[in-house]
This record gives sequence, C-alpha cells and structure tokens, in this order.
Amino acid sequence: MTEAAHEAGDDQLTAPGRPVAITPGQAALSGLRHPLVGILLLIGLCSAISGKPLDGFLIAVVAVLLAWDAARASLRGWPAYSGADAAPAPARPGDTGSPLRVVARRRAPLLAVTAGVTAAAAYTTIVGGFSRYSWPVTIAVVALGCLMVAIAWQGPLRSRPPLTGRPLRRAWLWALLLVAGGGWELSSLLQQPHLTTDSYAHPTISALSDPVLASHPGRTIFLAGWLLLGWSLASR
Amino acid sequence: MTSRELTIAGYLAVLAGSVALQIAAVRRPERLPSLGHVFTHVMRTRTGRVGVLVAWAWLGLHFFAK
Repeated sequence: MTEAAHEAGDDQLTAPGRPVAITPGQAALSGLRHPLVGILLLIGLCSAISGKPLDGFLIAVVAVLLAWDAARASLRGWPAYSGADAAPAPARPGDTGSPLRVVARRRAPLLAVTAGVTAAAAYTTIVGGFSRYSWPVTIAVVALGCLMVAIAWQGPLRSRPPLTGRPLRRAWLWALLLVAGGGWELSSLLQQPHLTTDSYAHPTISALSDPVLASHPGRTIFLAGWLLLGWSLASR
Repeated sequence: MTSRELTIAGYLAVLAGSVALQIAAVRRPERLPSLGHVFTHVMRTRTGRVGVLVAWAWLGLHFFAK
C-alpha cells in the first residue's frame, strides 16, 4: 500500500485531538446527509426482503460504519470523507541506486503479480466447484468481499488526476445508463410472480445467468471476471 | 416480439449504450469520460471507494451467497 493510501486513512483515523464520543443520533444525522448511506440502507433492506438476509445485514453494517465515520469527521471538524485527493503519487525509491537494487525492486511487482494470479486461479477454481448458495461458497465470497471493503476503507492505492472540465460535466451520461439498467432490472423484478420466484416473461439478469452458473466452468469464469473487476476497482 | 425478448433487448440496449459510450470516451477523452475515469473520480472519497467496493461485493453475494 502506498503512502498516499495511508494518508487517506490517516486523515481521519489518527488526527490529533481527544477521542470523541458519538451518539447514535449524531451518527444517524451525519450519515443521512450522505446519499450513499441511504442508498446502501435501501439496498440492504431490498436484499433482506427478497430473501437475502445476509446481503442485507452486511450492507447495512457498512452503511452504519460510514455514517459513524461521517459523524466522527464532522464532530472533529475534518472535511468529511476526505481522501488522498491531492496527494501526489509517491516516488519509487527503487528507481535510483545500484543496478542490482533496481533489478531486485523491479522483480518484486512481477513476483507479486504472479502470486496474485496464482491465488486468483486457485480461488476461482476451488470456489467455482462449490454449489451456489452453499455455506462454503458463502464464506469464501463474504471473506473476500470484507477484505476488499477493508482495503477500500484505507484509501486509494495510487493517486490519479481528477475529472475536470467537459468530461466531468458529461459524467451524467454514465449515471443515466446505470439508472436505465437498474430501472429495467427493477421493472423485471417487480413483474415476477413473487420476489423470490423468477418470471420467464420478464427475466432478471440473475435469472438469465442461472444456466451459465449451473456448471463448474461457468462459475469459475464468472468468479474470475468478478475478481478482475474487484482488483481493477480496488487498485484505483 | 415476446415479453421475454423485449426484456432481454432492454438489457442489450443498455449494454450496447455502455460499449458505445466507452468507445466514444476512448476516442475523444477531452469530451467524454471513460467508465474507468468516472470510477476513479467517484472513488476519490472514502464514501465513494467503500460504496463502489460494496457494490462489487454485493454482486458476488447476490450470485453465490446464501
């Protein structure tokens, strides 16, 4: 993890000052000012009532933690949810020094990538072999999900330039597509005979993916894509 | 066109729109943001980072977990 990443977490976690006691009411008020907290609570509620209580519980836990973090930041006078926005990319000390040191430090990422790819291949193959909705696959997915959310909490792994100008003003196009896709899926879900019973006439994405995820290779490929997406996001 | 085909066509339309927008963004980055740039921008705050990774984790939970 980079210095920028540590700074992002340290901004909020190790600032000087007395420990601040936060009441549930303060946490709720601060949290509700942030739309994402409300969205997460809504997703958690929808998951719970559609037969996925574990999903709902875990998402609600994250929403409460974010609300608590917002309350703590506002009570201490920090800019809420500040990240390492302005933190420059850390210099790579391995790029200077003796040639042997340079070679050794350039090999380290290669070894890390090789180890990561091997671990990902083992994870997808083993976990893909378990039946869907079984306890082994549930434990494996929940553990990885919690790990990645914990990594996200610490901060970005590297600093990148922000969107500005015209590209920033047109980011709404992506939001529009996301809302359109989510709305279409929700429409299909609400046209099912029951929230937990699929409809042939109005299939959700989950229902359409069932034939693919019925086989070991299908689950392995899906998990590989999920891991790749997760790594791509976590490395931002 | 049956209801099922219409529903699937809706998903494909959203997918096609996403691919078209991404291609346009890659070809003219000064005018449109790519999906990667949007995620990077959203994930510049703790709320954004955690929110996006929770959405990712939810995908895995939704398709595999009890």
